[in-house]
Amino acid sequence: MKELISTIARALVDEPDSVEVKEIESDNNSLIELRVAKDDIGKVIGRDGRTAQSMRTILSAASTKLGRRTHLDIVD
Amino acid sequence: MSESNDDLNDKPDSEVDDDSEDERDDDERDFDDEDDEDGEDGDDDDESAEAKSDDRGPRRRRPRGRRRPREEYTTDDERSLDALAFVTDLIDKMHMECEVQLTAPRDEEEAEIALEINGEDAGRVIGKKGQVLAAIQFLTNRVVNRPGLERRHILVDAEGYRRRRESSLASMARRLGKQAVTDGKIITFEPMNPRDRRVVHLALAKFEGVITKSDGEGDDRRVQIIPVRR
Repeated sequence: MKELISTIARALVDEPDSVEVKEIESDNNSLIELRVAKDDIGKVIGRDGRTAQSMRTILSAASTKLGRRTHLDIVD
Repeated sequence: MSESNDDLNDKPDSEVDDDSEDERDDDERDFDDEDDEDGEDGDDDDESAEAKSDDRGPRRRRPRGRRRPREEYTTDDERSLDALAFVTDLIDKMHMECEVQLTAPRDEEEAEIALEINGEDAGRVIGKKGQVLAAIQFLTNRVVNRPGLERRHILVDAEGYRRRRESSLASMARRLGKQAVTDGKIITFEPMNPRDRRVVHLALAKFEGVITKSDGEGDDRRVQIIPVRR
């Protein structure tokens, strides 16, 4: 799931090389931490959080297929 | 109409498979159709009409709900190819068994970038009430329409889901347009998202005797159909 978030984030930001994604896994759950350049945070959150919301919707559809749950945290 | 349909039905399937064009054409002819309510069969009306009137038994051009991928559309437009690359990558990283392709923009949307996702995981890609598909389209929009670039309209569909939905919304708009003219009263829709409001505006843009406008703010914005005197 890490690659999924990395793919999306890198496409959205101005500085793709600063995108960092960590995944912390336990049984059926994982937590993904996304870090981007300071000036890019707005681009991964979006107006009213809509970009972040869209990433979570897509993440959830992909995780459900594997019988998992994944939480996305955008770290600033 | 039923005679020409008989001819069509005798042809092999491959002769009648351009759904996007079919839908729009059917739509134009649908002005007087009153039983197109359930949103699933915007393009099947003449068929059911035939089934009722023809006692040789109903014949179908293809089973409902199954669509072949649209015809391949090729372009060297860079932003279309960027959009295709992004969605292809996304579907791949979601581990969905699906193909992504560019499709021809709709007639009234020359600068539109249209993509279609087809395959066995299409249901997951669409999601409940189309939410996953909407999220994919939203992100594609952010990626393609970067600041400083001319805005391009983006349509991401899966198995014809959006086009079917938009086509039945457009039919409903025309039906209500007719009603607004007949009753001479303003008709107000439920609040809708910008995309759906746009479908209504476009459907009634050339409809004589009414104008449309949107009223209200944010999530409460509604389309109104207003009868006008010519």
